[in-house]
Amino acid sequence: MRGERLRGRALLRRVIRREARSVGATSALSAVHQGAEALVPILIGVIIDRAVGTGTAVDLIIWIAVLGATFVILSASFQIGTRTGEYAVERASHALRLDLTSRILHPRGATDAGRLPGALVNVATGDAQRVGMINLALPLGLAAMCGVLIGAVALLRMSVPLGLLVLLGAPVLLLAAHGLGLPLQRRSESEQEHAARAAGVAADLVTGLRVLKGLGAEQSAARRYRRISRESLAATRRAATAKSWHDSTLLGLTGIFLAIVALVGGRLAATQQITVGELVAAVGLAQFLLGPLALVAWANGELAQARASADRITAVLSAGQRTPGGNETLPDQVGGHLRLAAVEDAGLCGLDLEIGAGELVGLVAADQRSATTLTELLGRFRDPQAGSIELDGRPLHTLDPTAVRTAILIAEHDADLFEGTLLDNVTLGRVPADRVGPALTASTVDEVSRTLPDGLHGPIAERGRSLSGGQRQRVALARALAADPPVLVLHDPSTAVDAVTEQRIAAGLRDLRHGRTTVLVTTSPSLLSVAGRVLFLADGAIRASGPHAELLREDPLYRSIVLA
Amino acid sequence: MSGVNPGRVLLPTATGAQTRAAVRRLLRPRWALAVLAVAVLIAGTAIGLVTIRLLGHIVDLVVDGRPAGALNGPVVALVVIAVGQAVTAGWGLALVARLGEGMLADLREQFIDRVLALPLHQVEEAGTGDLTSRVTNDVTVIATAVRSALPELARSMLTIALTAVGLAVLDWRFLLAALLAVPIQILTVRWYSGRALPLYAGQRVSVGALQHQLQETVSGAGTVRALRLQDSHRELVRARSLDSVDWTMRGVRVLTQFYGRLNAAEFVGLSAVLVAGFLLVRDGSATIGEATVAALYFHSLFAPINTALGLVDDAQSAAASLVRLVGVTELPAAGSPGAARAPSAATVSVEAVGHAYRPDQPVLRGVSLDVAATERVALVGASGAGKTTLAALIAGVRRPSSGVIRLGGIRLEDLDPAEVRRSIVIITQEVHVFAGPLRDDLRLARPDAGDEELLKGLDRVGAGEWSAALPDGLDTVVGDGGHRLTVTQAQQLALARLVLADPPIAVLDEATAEAGSAGARTLEAAVEEALAGRTGIVVAHRLTQAVSADRVVLLDAGRVLESGPHAELAARPDGQYAALWRAWADHRPTG
Repeated sequence: MRGERLRGRALLRRVIRREARSVGATSALSAVHQGAEALVPILIGVIIDRAVGTGTAVDLIIWIAVLGATFVILSASFQIGTRTGEYAVERASHALRLDLTSRILHPRGATDAGRLPGALVNVATGDAQRVGMINLALPLGLAAMCGVLIGAVALLRMSVPLGLLVLLGAPVLLLAAHGLGLPLQRRSESEQEHAARAAGVAADLVTGLRVLKGLGAEQSAARRYRRISRESLAATRRAATAKSWHDSTLLGLTGIFLAIVALVGGRLAATQQITVGELVAAVGLAQFLLGPLALVAWANGELAQARASADRITAVLSAGQRTPGGNETLPDQVGGHLRLAAVEDAGLCGLDLEIGAGELVGLVAADQRSATTLTELLGRFRDPQAGSIELDGRPLHTLDPTAVRTAILIAEHDADLFEGTLLDNVTLGRVPADRVGPALTASTVDEVSRTLPDGLHGPIAERGRSLSGGQRQRVALARALAADPPVLVLHDPSTAVDAVTEQRIAAGLRDLRHGRTTVLVTTSPSLLSVAGRVLFLADGAIRASGPHAELLREDPLYRSIVLA
Repeated sequence: MSGVNPGRVLLPTATGAQTRAAVRRLLRPRWALAVLAVAVLIAGTAIGLVTIRLLGHIVDLVVDGRPAGALNGPVVALVVIAVGQAVTAGWGLALVARLGEGMLADLREQFIDRVLALPLHQVEEAGTGDLTSRVTNDVTVIATAVRSALPELARSMLTIALTAVGLAVLDWRFLLAALLAVPIQILTVRWYSGRALPLYAGQRVSVGALQHQLQETVSGAGTVRALRLQDSHRELVRARSLDSVDWTMRGVRVLTQFYGRLNAAEFVGLSAVLVAGFLLVRDGSATIGEATVAALYFHSLFAPINTALGLVDDAQSAAASLVRLVGVTELPAAGSPGAARAPSAATVSVEAVGHAYRPDQPVLRGVSLDVAATERVALVGASGAGKTTLAALIAGVRRPSSGVIRLGGIRLEDLDPAEVRRSIVIITQEVHVFAGPLRDDLRLARPDAGDEELLKGLDRVGAGEWSAALPDGLDTVVGDGGHRLTVTQAQQLALARLVLADPPIAVLDEATAEAGSAGARTLEAAVEEALAGRTGIVVAHRLTQAVSADRVVLLDAGRVLESGPHAELAARPDGQYAALWRAWADHRPTG
């Protein structure tokens, strides 16, 4: 936790450094803006003194012109400064989003794989934005302090005690603001969590709406949501109340500060040490100072949020790699010979197996867990607890995971489809045209596309939710076949497909993958019957191996698993 | 289900009148709180304005050459006012937050209530994406407005109004001078609204696209890794992210120009007030102190005016989101047919039902089917034969384009929706584990069930073992954000909910499809248990489910082609089911 905090601070520094020039420019321009803002009450004092008090029209015109010039500078510096700062914010958040995307998609995976997609998306959007905000909050905060300084100098020139008062009083006020901001940061964290919970549950219920309605559970779901919404309400209300009192305490402190300035300034004017116009300017300045001081408080709040967000971002970015080590690559020509020796992991107990190059092998697991583990290990999504896995005699853990996946494609039964046309999902923009047709035929996607209004060029919406389960599976299968990897591992590719189609798929697979290593992790008889050999995994090790028909005859356990 | 997706029928948005009425309804139970909040804020603002009058008073005391001691009184008053202002502001803001948050909570609860009551076919047509975006994005926009914009706006408007009163009290001509800024401000706001609205709409679309892309990329990270699609997905995120940066910057440019124009209004107003002060002091109708107070009053208006006008777009986007939420909450409740009748028997009858998602592509044609109480019917056929559509029609999820469906002899449309669900439950291909404790998930099906009942339900569908092994038993948090269940476990959970809901008729659509073959067999046993004693209509992909059914109904291109017990159909020499069965059984030893 402490380490994360430190890394969070380092991230903030890096974000500022990357945009150092913009941050500098924004600070300078905002400081000019603050100076011009400070000049306005001073000029009001001057006009009262030289024109309103004396009744000379020429002075009035001259000083109003000066006021106009001040406004021009004020407006220009504000506009350019804000644009520069906002651009720095946007660029920084953009860079963080890309860093996070890269980390989340990293081929070596992350040790904190349990993070939910929704939470990660929040980090990449909300937290990235809040951390980027530091590039605006910091310059504005600095410029506001400058504004305070300019005001103080102006006061100092009128009268030393008055200037000293502001110079000493303002930092005390700033420190108080900082002290008040810390508990607010903690509050804001819990508030965000609670508010997110109500939103999260609402989105979850809407996502599962069809299930709820199919079940007739609308009323119990509504009751449940109301309970959570009320809990969330109580938490946000507590946080909002805390924030209100924080803001108003600051308001009170600045008001008292103003009163003290008026007291000292008024006494000085009453004893003729300063003019009435200077008193007006002093009071106006103290009034003006509320602005920059509030800005400092705002910047402080933003910094607090940025710190909390930076901690969350670094937690994601600094997670360890799931499959560290191993940078070797494979030659362009991969034979596709797989060998597992004494592999131990979840569902596997000292598994030994060998699959020859070009073999079409069925793999039946009595325990689903063994099958899942095996596919994860073969794609080097993780490394086994013990034992070795070799491809063409090269241990997988010495190879770069991307190299492994170039050679071994794992097609999971719950693989996602992505936005784009059906064809885009199959070709992934990289498959040569001549490989597409055969893959579509073998997976019977040609048939699917005929039932869709726009065929192969029809869009896939909501990650394939617009297709039925069987259609989705077939598109994913076509994608895997079109990729034509040296080793293809298909995990339950046709469970949602009807029997006739499944048989056609089996035949298509056999022909298309001829001479290429293919592992069918399945219990479907149609698929297993096209495999040259079936490996039967029970209790974490190979229990039997042989042609499907032979295992069916000889192994009652196999029979009971493959045949329902 | 052939994935036909005709033009999306989006959910409605509310009219202005509907929205105002909805807000009034939300406000009504809280009127006392609202009045108190406004009163406290007015008091706070009024107290704040006294500050400047006191400062003007100090100036006049000095100009009159009064001794320094005379200043003590006003200064003490300044301190008292600062404290008073802090207390009222804190209290007022807390009250506004309480008011706004409470209304927001009511609104989101009403929204969920109404969404849950939407007829399913309407949800299917609109897609859940639109609803999800309303319940997340729009609620967030409104929450932000409630949390920051609303209190700010309230305070600013009050300050502006009371300051105007203050100026008029000094001398009406000061107010007149100050009003010279107003035409510029009106023009500026007009200029801004015309440009900002399309910009913000574009920005929202762009941010939505970015969010959508991140969701897709992050959720599909496993597939992205397996297929080595990192580069193309990073590129997609990059492009969408840059697009959102671009839109945001366009918005910032317009916003800064907006404030630039308001600066001009400030200058015009301030100069006018100063010139008015000059003239009024010269002809003796105002003191220097009064001229000072007028100038300071106007100067102190800079911030609240900027705030109030700057919040115009926050208010506009909150209003845009509000009409989207109210559009749903104001949807008419699903029509209840009046006399609540309950089906007397667990029978299903389908008479000459036809259905088409697009007029030119009928999915079902003239389907008739009678299912007796506790009979088990398996619907079989190739993909696209219309099995899923028929299942959805029977369960009342969709309405048939033609023909009649009866439950226990009563037409589906004559039944109250709640009554339909008490009689018939459908489990579709979609599995969803609700985020939260497992107990809460199961209780959705039967809210009053005790733990023992829940465990028994789990046990019946073969989920007893793994659910007992969960880290915290029934308290284990499952679903999004919690313990991840396998597809098989999630399906068992769906069946356990069915057992707990205990309807006389159940429709299962591919409930075993996506679990993988080994899981499929576990689930088949679970389905057997879950359907025991019920009328069951099962969309069967695995023909083993057809074998165990009382009757097999073979659909082909939207028609019932064959119907009868498995043994009979499988024995027909040139029957289509027989062909299907041979394909299925080929790899299995006969007998």
